Amino acid sequence: MTAESLSASYTVEFPFERTVGPTIGAFLGGLRDGQLYGVRTERGALCPPLEFEPGTGAETGELVPVADTGTVTSWTWVRARLGDPVPHDFAWALIAIDGTIGALFHAVDVGGDSGRMATGMRVRARWRAERVGQLSDIECFEVAP
Amino acid sequence: MSRRVAVTGIGQGTQAKRREVSIGAMVREAVTEAMADAELSFADIDAVVLSKTPDLFDGVMNPELYLADAMGAVGLPVTRVFTGGSVGGHAAIYGAHLVQAGLAERVLVVAYSKESEGNFTWALSRGLPFSAPLGAGAGGHFAPVIREYIQRSNAPEHIGWQVAVNHRLNATRNPYAHVHRPDITVEEVRDSRMLWDPIRYLESCPSSDGSCAIVVTAEEHAGQTPAWIHGTAWRTETGHFAGRDEVNPQAGRECAADAYRQAGIDSPAAQVDVAELYIPYSWYEPIWLENIGLAEEGSGWKLVDDGRTAFDGDLPVNPSGGVLSGNPTGATGLLRFAEAALQVRGLAGEHQVDGARRAIGHAMGGASQFHALWVVGSDKPGASR
Repeated sequence: MTAESLSASYTVEFPFERTVGPTIGAFLGGLRDGQLYGVRTERGALCPPLEFEPGTGAETGELVPVADTGTVTSWTWVRARLGDPVPHDFAWALIAIDGTIGALFHAVDVGGDSGRMATGMRVRARWRAERVGQLSDIECFEVAP
Repeated sequence: MSRRVAVTGIGQGTQAKRREVSIGAMVREAVTEAMADAELSFADIDAVVLSKTPDLFDGVMNPELYLADAMGAVGLPVTRVFTGGSVGGHAAIYGAHLVQAGLAERVLVVAYSKESEGNFTWALSRGLPFSAPLGAGAGGHFAPVIREYIQRSNAPEHIGWQVAVNHRLNATRNPYAHVHRPDITVEEVRDSRMLWDPIRYLESCPSSDGSCAIVVTAEEHAGQTPAWIHGTAWRTETGHFAGRDEVNPQAGRECAADAYRQAGIDSPAAQVDVAELYIPYSWYEPIWLENIGLAEEGSGWKLVDDGRTAFDGDLPVNPSGGVLSGNPTGATGLLRFAEAALQVRGLAGEHQVDGARRAIGHAMGGASQFHALWVVGSDKPGASR
Protein backbone atom coordinates (compact mmCIF):
# COMPACT_ATOMS: atom_id res chain seq x y z
CA MET A 1 0.00 0.00 0.00
CA THR A 2 1.37 3.37 -1.00
CA ALA A 3 0.80 6.56 0.91
CA GLU A 4 -1.67 8.69 -0.95
CA SER A 5 -3.28 12.03 -0.22
CA LEU A 6 -6.62 12.90 -1.74
CA SER A 7 -6.76 16.06 -3.76
CA ALA A 8 -9.43 17.86 -5.74
CA SER A 9 -9.38 20.96 -7.85
CA TYR A 10 -11.00 24.07 -6.45
CA THR A 11 -11.48 27.37 -8.17
CA VAL A 12 -11.18 30.37 -5.89
CA GLU A 13 -13.61 33.00 -7.09
CA PHE A 14 -14.70 36.38 -5.78
CA PRO A 15 -17.76 37.44 -7.74
CA PHE A 16 -18.11 40.98 -6.38
CA GLU A 17 -19.29 44.11 -8.18
CA ARG A 18 -17.97 47.25 -6.52
CA THR A 19 -19.68 50.61 -6.30
CA VAL A 20 -17.46 53.69 -6.13
CA GLY A 21 -20.04 56.46 -5.56
CA PRO A 22 -20.04 59.97 -7.02
CA THR A 23 -16.73 61.24 -5.56
CA ILE A 24 -14.42 58.41 -6.53
CA GLY A 25 -16.54 57.78 -9.64
CA ALA A 26 -16.00 61.34 -10.90
CA PHE A 27 -12.26 61.04 -10.14
CA LEU A 28 -12.09 57.87 -12.23
CA GLY A 29 -14.13 59.52 -14.99
CA GLY A 30 -11.63 62.40 -14.92
CA LEU A 31 -8.76 59.98 -15.45
CA ARG A 32 -10.56 58.69 -18.55
CA ASP A 33 -10.75 62.31 -19.77
CA GLY A 34 -7.07 62.94 -18.97
CA GLN A 35 -7.91 65.29 -16.09
CA LEU A 36 -6.91 64.86 -12.44
CA TYR A 37 -9.34 65.95 -9.71
CA GLY A 38 -8.97 66.72 -6.03
CA VAL A 39 -11.78 67.10 -3.49
CA ARG A 40 -12.31 70.07 -1.19
CA THR A 41 -11.69 69.61 2.55
CA GLU A 42 -11.20 72.07 5.42
CA ARG A 43 -7.43 71.60 5.05
CA GLY A 44 -7.37 72.14 1.26
CA ALA A 45 -7.95 70.06 -1.88
CA LEU A 46 -7.22 66.38 -1.28
CA CYS A 47 -5.75 64.32 -4.16
CA PRO A 48 -6.44 61.51 -4.69
CA PRO A 49 -9.95 62.31 -3.41
CA LEU A 50 -11.76 60.48 -0.60
CA GLU A 51 -15.40 60.57 0.51
CA PHE A 52 -14.41 61.40 4.08
CA GLU A 53 -11.62 63.55 5.49
CA PRO A 54 -9.37 60.95 7.13
CA GLY A 55 -8.29 63.26 9.97
CA THR A 56 -11.78 64.01 11.23
CA GLY A 57 -14.25 61.75 9.43
CA ALA A 58 -16.01 64.84 8.01
CA GLU A 59 -17.65 64.53 4.60
CA THR A 60 -15.50 66.01 1.84
CA GLY A 61 -16.83 68.69 -0.52
CA GLU A 62 -16.93 69.21 -4.27
CA LEU A 63 -14.37 68.01 -6.79
CA VAL A 64 -11.94 70.52 -8.26
CA PRO A 65 -9.71 70.03 -11.33
CA VAL A 66 -6.01 70.03 -10.41
CA ALA A 67 -2.73 70.03 -12.33
CA ASP A 68 -1.10 66.79 -13.44
CA THR A 69 2.24 67.93 -12.06
CA GLY A 70 3.68 67.50 -8.59
CA THR A 71 6.63 66.91 -6.29
CA VAL A 72 8.07 63.55 -5.20
CA THR A 73 7.93 63.36 -1.40
CA SER A 74 9.19 59.78 -0.99
CA TRP A 75 10.30 56.98 -3.29
CA THR A 76 11.80 53.49 -3.54
CA TRP A 77 13.74 51.98 -6.44
CA VAL A 78 12.53 48.65 -7.88
CA ARG A 79 13.63 46.23 -10.59
CA ALA A 80 11.15 45.97 -13.45
CA ARG A 81 9.04 42.80 -13.65
CA LEU A 82 6.56 41.65 -16.26
CA GLY A 83 3.37 43.67 -15.91
CA ASP A 84 4.97 46.70 -14.28
CA PRO A 85 4.00 50.13 -15.68
CA VAL A 86 7.57 50.82 -16.91
CA PRO A 87 9.62 48.30 -18.95
CA HIS A 88 12.94 49.10 -17.22
CA ASP A 89 13.89 49.66 -13.54
CA PHE A 90 11.94 52.55 -11.99
CA ALA A 91 10.74 54.12 -8.72
CA TRP A 92 7.44 53.78 -6.86
CA ALA A 93 6.81 57.22 -5.41
CA LEU A 94 4.45 59.33 -3.32
CA ILE A 95 3.68 62.45 -5.34
CA ALA A 96 2.20 65.63 -3.85
CA ILE A 97 0.08 66.97 -6.71
CA ASP A 98 0.49 70.74 -7.13
CA GLY A 99 -2.04 72.78 -5.16
CA THR A 100 -3.29 69.79 -3.15
CA ILE A 101 -2.74 67.93 0.11
CA GLY A 102 -2.30 64.17 0.19
CA ALA A 103 -0.06 61.91 -1.84
CA LEU A 104 -0.72 60.05 -5.08
CA PHE A 105 1.11 56.72 -5.28
CA HIS A 106 2.48 56.01 -8.76
CA ALA A 107 5.52 54.96 -10.79
CA VAL A 108 8.22 57.44 -11.85
CA ASP A 109 10.24 56.73 -15.01
CA VAL A 110 13.78 58.17 -15.04
CA GLY A 111 15.07 56.00 -17.87
CA GLY A 112 16.34 53.27 -15.56
CA ASP A 113 18.91 55.53 -13.83
CA SER A 114 18.27 55.65 -10.06
CA GLY A 115 20.79 58.49 -9.79
CA ARG A 116 18.21 60.80 -11.37
CA MET A 117 15.64 60.14 -8.59
CA ALA A 118 15.49 62.60 -5.72
CA THR A 119 13.01 63.63 -3.05
CA GLY A 120 11.68 67.04 -4.02
CA MET A 121 12.05 66.43 -7.77
CA ARG A 122 9.35 67.79 -10.07
CA VAL A 123 7.27 65.27 -12.08
CA ARG A 124 4.46 65.29 -14.63
CA ALA A 125 1.89 62.61 -15.53
CA ARG A 126 2.42 60.64 -18.74
CA TRP A 127 -1.11 59.84 -19.92
CA ARG A 128 -2.03 56.81 -22.00
CA ALA A 129 -3.65 57.45 -25.37
CA GLU A 130 -6.37 54.84 -24.66
CA ARG A 131 -7.98 55.56 -21.27
CA VAL A 132 -10.71 53.56 -19.50
CA GLY A 133 -11.24 55.24 -16.11
CA GLN A 134 -8.67 53.70 -13.80
CA LEU A 135 -5.40 54.81 -12.20
CA SER A 136 -3.34 53.08 -14.89
CA ASP A 137 -4.73 55.66 -17.36
CA ILE A 138 -1.65 57.48 -16.10
CA GLU A 139 1.10 55.24 -17.45
CA CYS A 140 3.60 56.74 -14.97
CA PHE A 141 5.09 60.09 -13.96
CA GLU A 142 8.21 61.45 -15.62
CA VAL A 143 10.66 64.26 -14.91
CA ALA A 144 8.96 67.60 -15.52
CA PRO A 145 10.90 69.79 -17.97
CA MET B 1 -29.70 46.33 35.21
CA SER B 2 -26.93 48.37 36.77
CA ARG B 3 -27.63 51.66 35.04
CA ARG B 4 -30.60 53.02 33.07
CA VAL B 5 -29.88 53.18 29.34
CA ALA B 6 -31.89 54.63 26.46
CA VAL B 7 -31.92 54.87 22.68
CA THR B 8 -31.85 58.56 21.81
CA GLY B 9 -30.99 58.60 18.12
CA ILE B 10 -32.09 56.44 15.20
CA GLY B 11 -31.18 56.61 11.52
CA GLN B 12 -31.51 54.38 8.51
CA GLY B 13 -30.73 54.38 4.82
CA THR B 14 -33.22 53.56 2.08
CA GLN B 15 -33.34 49.81 1.49
CA ALA B 16 -32.96 49.03 -2.20
CA LYS B 17 -30.39 48.01 -4.74
CA ARG B 18 -28.10 50.99 -4.19
CA ARG B 19 -25.65 51.08 -7.09
CA GLU B 20 -25.33 54.89 -6.95
CA VAL B 21 -23.53 55.06 -3.59
CA SER B 22 -20.40 53.53 -2.11
CA ILE B 23 -20.55 51.35 1.00
CA GLY B 24 -19.11 54.20 3.08
CA ALA B 25 -21.62 56.77 1.86
CA MET B 26 -24.54 54.40 2.45
CA VAL B 27 -23.37 53.76 6.02
CA ARG B 28 -22.95 57.51 6.51
CA GLU B 29 -26.62 58.16 5.59
CA ALA B 30 -27.77 56.23 8.65
CA VAL B 31 -25.02 57.62 10.90
CA THR B 32 -25.85 61.24 9.96
CA GLU B 33 -29.56 60.70 10.62
CA ALA B 34 -28.96 59.00 13.99
CA MET B 35 -26.53 61.70 15.14
CA ALA B 36 -28.96 64.48 14.13
CA ASP B 37 -31.80 62.71 15.93
CA ALA B 38 -29.67 62.43 19.09
CA GLU B 39 -28.48 66.04 18.60
CA LEU B 40 -24.85 64.94 18.97
CA SER B 41 -21.61 65.33 17.03
CA PHE B 42 -18.82 62.78 16.70
CA ALA B 43 -16.89 64.51 19.51
CA ASP B 44 -19.67 63.43 21.92
CA ILE B 45 -19.37 59.72 21.09
CA ASP B 46 -17.24 57.44 23.29
CA ALA B 47 -17.28 54.19 21.31
CA VAL B 48 -18.51 52.76 18.00
CA VAL B 49 -19.90 49.26 17.45
CA LEU B 50 -20.22 47.85 13.92
CA SER B 51 -22.63 45.11 12.87
CA LYS B 52 -21.90 43.25 9.64
CA THR B 53 -22.49 39.83 8.08
CA PRO B 54 -19.53 37.63 6.98
CA ASP B 55 -16.91 39.43 4.88
CA LEU B 56 -17.56 37.04 1.99
CA PHE B 57 -21.11 38.36 1.51
CA ASP B 58 -20.16 41.69 0.01
CA GLY B 59 -16.43 41.23 -0.20
CA VAL B 60 -14.88 43.72 2.23
CA MET B 61 -12.42 42.24 4.70
CA ASN B 62 -12.35 43.95 8.11
CA PRO B 63 -15.10 46.49 7.40
CA GLU B 64 -14.55 47.99 10.87
CA LEU B 65 -11.20 49.26 9.54
CA TYR B 66 -12.45 50.17 6.10
CA LEU B 67 -15.35 52.25 7.48
CA ALA B 68 -13.58 54.02 10.36
CA ASP B 69 -13.97 57.39 8.60
CA ALA B 70 -17.55 56.80 7.40
CA MET B 71 -18.60 55.89 10.96
CA GLY B 72 -16.92 58.95 12.45
CA ALA B 73 -14.73 56.62 14.51
CA VAL B 74 -11.54 58.69 14.29
CA GLY B 75 -9.83 58.45 17.67
CA LEU B 76 -12.50 56.15 19.16
CA PRO B 77 -12.56 52.49 20.14
CA VAL B 78 -14.34 50.41 17.49
CA THR B 79 -15.64 46.89 17.96
CA ARG B 80 -17.10 44.70 15.26
CA VAL B 81 -19.81 42.25 16.32
CA PHE B 82 -20.35 39.15 14.23
CA THR B 83 -23.16 36.59 14.70
CA GLY B 84 -24.77 35.91 11.33
CA GLY B 85 -28.14 37.53 10.61
CA SER B 86 -28.80 38.37 14.25
CA VAL B 87 -25.67 40.53 14.38
CA GLY B 88 -27.52 43.88 14.45
CA GLY B 89 -29.38 42.82 17.58
CA HIS B 90 -26.19 41.67 19.25
CA ALA B 91 -24.47 44.94 18.31
CA ALA B 92 -27.28 46.98 19.90
CA ILE B 93 -27.05 44.93 23.08
CA TYR B 94 -23.26 45.21 23.12
CA GLY B 95 -23.58 49.00 22.79
CA ALA B 96 -26.03 49.02 25.71
CA HIS B 97 -23.62 46.88 27.75
CA LEU B 98 -20.82 49.42 27.26
CA VAL B 99 -23.05 52.11 28.76
CA GLN B 100 -24.47 49.88 31.50
CA ALA B 101 -20.95 48.91 32.51
CA GLY B 102 -19.96 52.55 32.80
CA LEU B 103 -17.34 52.19 30.05
CA ALA B 104 -19.08 54.76 27.84
CA GLU B 105 -21.70 57.52 28.13
CA ARG B 106 -22.78 57.57 24.49
CA VAL B 107 -22.27 54.76 22.00
CA LEU B 108 -22.92 54.80 18.25
CA VAL B 109 -24.07 51.42 16.89
CA VAL B 110 -23.78 51.08 13.11
CA ALA B 111 -24.96 48.30 10.78
CA TYR B 112 -25.06 47.67 7.05
CA SER B 113 -25.06 45.23 4.17
CA LYS B 114 -24.54 46.06 0.52
CA GLU B 115 -25.73 42.81 -0.94
CA SER B 116 -25.78 44.07 -4.55
CA GLU B 117 -21.96 43.99 -4.45
CA GLY B 118 -21.86 40.24 -3.88
CA ASN B 119 -23.71 36.99 -4.48
CA PHE B 120 -25.38 35.65 -1.37
CA THR B 121 -26.33 32.24 -2.64
CA TRP B 122 -22.71 31.74 -3.74
CA ALA B 123 -21.41 32.94 -0.37
CA LEU B 124 -23.82 30.75 1.63
CA SER B 125 -23.44 27.57 -0.38
CA ARG B 126 -20.36 27.83 -2.58
CA GLY B 127 -19.12 24.54 -3.98
CA LEU B 128 -16.35 22.91 -1.94
CA PRO B 129 -14.14 19.92 -2.78
CA PHE B 130 -15.64 16.54 -1.73
CA SER B 131 -19.03 18.17 -1.01
CA ALA B 132 -22.29 17.95 -2.92
CA PRO B 133 -22.90 21.21 -4.83
CA LEU B 134 -26.32 22.11 -3.40
CA GLY B 135 -26.45 25.81 -4.18
CA ALA B 136 -29.60 25.98 -2.08
CA GLY B 137 -29.10 29.27 -0.23
CA ALA B 138 -30.79 30.21 3.05
CA GLY B 139 -34.27 29.11 1.99
CA GLY B 140 -32.98 25.61 1.36
CA HIS B 141 -31.95 25.42 4.99
CA PHE B 142 -35.16 26.78 6.50
CA ALA B 143 -37.75 25.01 4.28
CA PRO B 144 -37.60 21.63 6.14
CA VAL B 145 -37.91 23.45 9.47
CA ILE B 146 -41.06 25.15 8.21
CA ARG B 147 -42.48 21.83 6.96
CA GLU B 148 -41.89 20.37 10.41
CA TYR B 149 -43.68 23.34 12.02
CA ILE B 150 -46.69 22.92 9.73
CA GLN B 151 -46.85 19.19 10.47
CA ARG B 152 -46.66 19.68 14.24
CA SER B 153 -49.09 22.55 14.47
CA ASN B 154 -51.56 21.45 11.78
CA ALA B 155 -51.53 25.01 10.49
CA PRO B 156 -53.46 25.60 7.26
CA GLU B 157 -51.25 26.58 4.33
CA HIS B 158 -52.80 30.04 3.86
CA ILE B 159 -51.08 31.25 7.06
CA GLY B 160 -47.79 31.79 5.24
CA TRP B 161 -49.56 33.65 2.45
CA GLN B 162 -51.40 35.88 4.93
CA VAL B 163 -48.19 36.84 6.77
CA ALA B 164 -46.60 37.78 3.43
CA VAL B 165 -49.57 40.06 2.67
CA ASN B 166 -49.64 41.64 6.15
CA HIS B 167 -45.96 42.57 6.09
CA ARG B 168 -46.03 43.94 2.52
CA LEU B 169 -49.07 46.09 3.33
CA ASN B 170 -47.25 47.38 6.42
CA ALA B 171 -44.25 48.27 4.23
CA THR B 172 -46.40 50.65 2.18
CA ARG B 173 -46.33 52.90 5.29
CA ASN B 174 -42.51 52.76 5.55
CA PRO B 175 -40.63 54.92 3.02
CA TYR B 176 -37.33 53.11 3.77
CA ALA B 177 -38.66 49.64 2.83
CA HIS B 178 -37.28 47.90 -0.26
CA VAL B 179 -40.51 46.17 -1.34
CA HIS B 180 -43.66 48.23 -1.92
CA ARG B 181 -46.65 46.17 -3.09
CA PRO B 182 -49.81 48.05 -2.12
CA ASP B 183 -52.04 45.75 -4.21
CA ILE B 184 -50.72 42.41 -2.95
CA THR B 185 -53.32 39.66 -2.29
CA VAL B 186 -53.29 36.23 -0.69
CA GLU B 187 -54.06 34.74 -4.12
CA GLU B 188 -51.03 36.47 -5.64
CA VAL B 189 -48.77 35.04 -2.93
CA ARG B 190 -50.34 31.59 -3.35
CA ASP B 191 -49.77 31.69 -7.11
CA SER B 192 -46.20 32.97 -6.94
CA ARG B 193 -43.35 30.66 -7.90
CA MET B 194 -42.36 27.89 -5.49
CA LEU B 195 -38.72 28.39 -4.46
CA TRP B 196 -38.13 25.88 -1.66
CA ASP B 197 -41.28 23.90 -0.83
CA PRO B 198 -43.33 25.27 0.95
CA ILE B 199 -41.67 28.71 0.60
CA ARG B 200 -43.00 30.68 -2.36
CA TYR B 201 -41.33 33.68 -3.98
CA LEU B 202 -43.60 36.23 -2.30
CA GLU B 203 -43.08 34.54 1.07
CA SER B 204 -39.33 35.28 0.89
CA CYS B 205 -37.24 38.28 1.87
CA PRO B 206 -35.49 40.31 -0.82
CA SER B 207 -31.72 40.85 -0.93
CA SER B 208 -31.15 44.53 -0.12
CA ASP B 209 -28.55 47.21 0.34
CA GLY B 210 -29.18 49.26 3.46
CA SER B 211 -27.85 50.70 6.70
CA CYS B 212 -29.01 51.54 10.19
CA ALA B 213 -27.49 53.38 13.14
CA ILE B 214 -28.58 54.11 16.70
CA VAL B 215 -27.20 56.13 19.58
CA VAL B 216 -27.38 54.53 23.03
CA THR B 217 -26.82 56.76 26.05
CA ALA B 218 -26.85 56.73 29.83
CA GLU B 219 -29.89 58.17 31.64
CA GLU B 220 -28.21 61.56 32.23
CA HIS B 221 -28.09 62.19 28.45
CA ALA B 222 -31.47 60.70 27.53
CA GLY B 223 -33.08 63.90 26.19
CA GLN B 224 -36.76 64.45 25.38
CA THR B 225 -37.90 61.29 23.58
CA PRO B 226 -35.83 58.31 24.69
CA ALA B 227 -36.72 54.67 24.19
CA TRP B 228 -35.80 53.15 27.55
CA ILE B 229 -34.12 49.76 27.43
CA HIS B 230 -35.96 47.48 29.87
CA GLY B 231 -34.28 44.18 29.14
CA THR B 232 -31.68 42.67 26.81
CA ALA B 233 -30.61 39.09 26.22
CA TRP B 234 -28.66 36.99 23.73
CA ARG B 235 -28.25 33.24 23.57
CA THR B 236 -26.45 30.77 21.34
CA GLU B 237 -26.69 27.08 20.45
CA THR B 238 -24.82 24.74 18.13
CA GLY B 239 -26.31 24.55 14.66
CA HIS B 240 -26.55 20.81 14.17
CA PHE B 241 -26.75 18.09 16.79
CA ALA B 242 -28.94 15.09 17.40
CA GLY B 243 -32.05 16.01 19.33
CA ARG B 244 -31.85 19.70 18.53
CA ASP B 245 -35.24 21.32 17.98
CA GLU B 246 -34.76 23.98 15.35
CA VAL B 247 -38.52 24.59 15.12
CA ASN B 248 -38.49 25.88 18.69
CA PRO B 249 -34.83 26.43 19.62
CA GLN B 250 -33.97 26.34 23.30
CA ALA B 251 -31.62 29.32 22.91
CA GLY B 252 -34.49 31.45 21.56
CA ARG B 253 -36.84 30.49 24.40
CA GLU B 254 -34.24 31.20 27.07
CA CYS B 255 -33.17 34.45 25.41
CA ALA B 256 -36.72 35.83 25.48
CA ALA B 257 -37.39 34.58 29.01
CA ASP B 258 -34.28 36.35 30.30
CA ALA B 259 -35.19 39.67 28.66
CA TYR B 260 -38.79 39.47 29.98
CA ARG B 261 -37.54 38.74 33.48
CA GLN B 262 -35.34 41.86 33.39
CA ALA B 263 -38.27 43.91 32.06
CA GLY B 264 -40.69 42.58 34.69
CA ILE B 265 -42.89 40.95 32.06
CA ASP B 266 -44.77 37.79 33.07
CA SER B 267 -47.44 37.71 30.37
CA PRO B 268 -45.65 38.80 27.17
CA ALA B 269 -48.61 38.75 24.75
CA ALA B 270 -50.65 40.94 27.09
CA GLN B 271 -47.84 43.27 28.14
CA VAL B 272 -46.18 43.92 24.79
CA ASP B 273 -47.84 46.41 22.42
CA VAL B 274 -45.88 45.76 19.23
CA ALA B 275 -43.10 43.42 18.04
CA GLU B 276 -40.44 43.70 15.36
CA LEU B 277 -39.30 40.14 14.70
CA TYR B 278 -36.67 38.65 12.38
CA ILE B 279 -38.99 36.97 9.85
CA PRO B 280 -37.13 36.27 6.58
CA TYR B 281 -39.72 33.72 5.39
CA SER B 282 -43.41 34.19 6.17
CA TRP B 283 -43.81 31.05 8.30
CA TYR B 284 -41.28 32.40 10.77
CA GLU B 285 -43.97 34.68 12.18
CA PRO B 286 -45.88 31.87 13.95
CA ILE B 287 -42.60 30.03 14.63
CA TRP B 288 -41.08 32.99 16.50
CA LEU B 289 -44.34 34.01 18.18
CA GLU B 290 -44.26 30.61 19.87
CA ASN B 291 -40.51 30.52 20.45
CA ILE B 292 -40.39 33.86 22.26
CA GLY B 293 -43.54 33.28 24.27
CA LEU B 294 -45.99 35.59 22.49
CA ALA B 295 -48.17 32.54 21.70
CA GLU B 296 -48.72 29.07 23.13
CA GLU B 297 -46.75 26.32 21.41
CA GLY B 298 -48.70 25.11 18.38
CA SER B 299 -51.03 28.11 18.27
CA GLY B 300 -48.93 30.96 16.88
CA TRP B 301 -50.64 30.53 13.52
CA LYS B 302 -54.04 31.23 15.11
CA LEU B 303 -52.91 34.78 15.99
CA VAL B 304 -52.20 35.28 12.28
CA ASP B 305 -55.50 33.68 11.24
CA ASP B 306 -57.47 35.88 13.65
CA GLY B 307 -55.79 39.04 12.32
CA ARG B 308 -54.25 39.83 15.69
CA THR B 309 -50.74 40.40 14.28
CA ALA B 310 -51.89 42.62 11.40
CA PHE B 311 -51.34 46.40 11.64
CA ASP B 312 -54.74 46.98 13.28
CA GLY B 313 -54.57 43.87 15.49
CA ASP B 314 -53.89 43.84 19.22
CA LEU B 315 -50.30 42.57 18.74
CA PRO B 316 -48.99 44.07 15.49
CA VAL B 317 -45.91 42.27 14.17
CA ASN B 318 -43.45 44.13 11.94
CA PRO B 319 -45.40 47.35 11.30
CA SER B 320 -42.29 48.50 9.39
CA GLY B 321 -42.85 45.74 6.83
CA GLY B 322 -40.10 43.69 8.41
CA VAL B 323 -37.48 41.50 6.78
CA LEU B 324 -39.94 40.37 4.09
CA SER B 325 -39.95 43.97 2.82
CA GLY B 326 -36.23 44.68 3.10
CA ASN B 327 -33.23 42.61 4.11
CA PRO B 328 -29.80 44.25 4.19
CA THR B 329 -28.78 41.32 6.40
CA GLY B 330 -26.00 43.00 8.39
CA ALA B 331 -28.44 45.80 9.30
CA THR B 332 -31.63 43.74 9.53
CA GLY B 333 -31.29 42.87 13.22
CA LEU B 334 -30.50 46.45 14.21
CA LEU B 335 -33.45 47.64 12.10
CA ARG B 336 -35.76 45.40 14.17
CA PHE B 337 -34.32 46.80 17.42
CA ALA B 338 -34.45 50.39 16.08
CA GLU B 339 -38.02 50.04 14.78
CA ALA B 340 -39.13 48.81 18.22
CA ALA B 341 -37.49 51.90 19.73
CA LEU B 342 -39.14 54.21 17.15
CA GLN B 343 -42.54 52.79 18.13
CA VAL B 344 -42.18 53.52 21.85
CA ARG B 345 -40.77 56.98 21.08
CA GLY B 346 -43.88 57.65 18.99
CA LEU B 347 -41.67 58.52 16.01
CA ALA B 348 -42.54 55.71 13.58
CA GLY B 349 -44.43 58.03 11.23
CA GLU B 350 -47.11 56.43 9.09
CA HIS B 351 -46.45 52.99 10.55
CA GLN B 352 -46.75 54.20 14.15
CA VAL B 353 -48.91 51.82 16.19
CA ASP B 354 -51.34 53.82 18.33
CA GLY B 355 -50.49 53.71 22.00
CA ALA B 356 -47.30 51.67 21.63
CA ARG B 357 -45.56 51.97 24.99
CA ARG B 358 -43.69 48.68 25.20
CA ALA B 359 -42.08 46.91 22.23
CA ILE B 360 -39.87 43.97 21.39
CA GLY B 361 -36.96 43.97 18.95
CA HIS B 362 -35.81 40.48 17.97
CA ALA B 363 -33.10 39.02 15.76
CA MET B 364 -32.02 35.53 14.73
CA GLY B 365 -28.88 34.34 12.98
CA GLY B 366 -27.14 31.33 11.50
CA ALA B 367 -29.20 28.12 11.48
CA SER B 368 -31.47 29.70 14.15
CA GLN B 369 -28.41 29.47 16.41
CA PHE B 370 -27.99 33.07 17.52
CA HIS B 371 -30.84 34.84 19.26
CA ALA B 372 -31.05 38.42 20.49
CA LEU B 373 -34.01 40.28 21.97
CA TRP B 374 -34.63 43.54 23.72
CA VAL B 375 -37.63 45.09 25.39
CA VAL B 376 -37.91 48.87 25.08
CA GLY B 377 -40.49 51.19 26.59
CA SER B 378 -41.75 54.76 26.80
CA ASP B 379 -41.56 54.61 30.59
CA LYS B 380 -38.37 54.69 32.59
CA PRO B 381 -37.49 51.21 33.90
CA GLY B 382 -38.74 50.78 37.45
CA ALA B 383 -41.55 53.31 37.01
CA SER B 384 -45.08 51.92 37.40
CA ARG B 385 -47.20 51.85 34.25
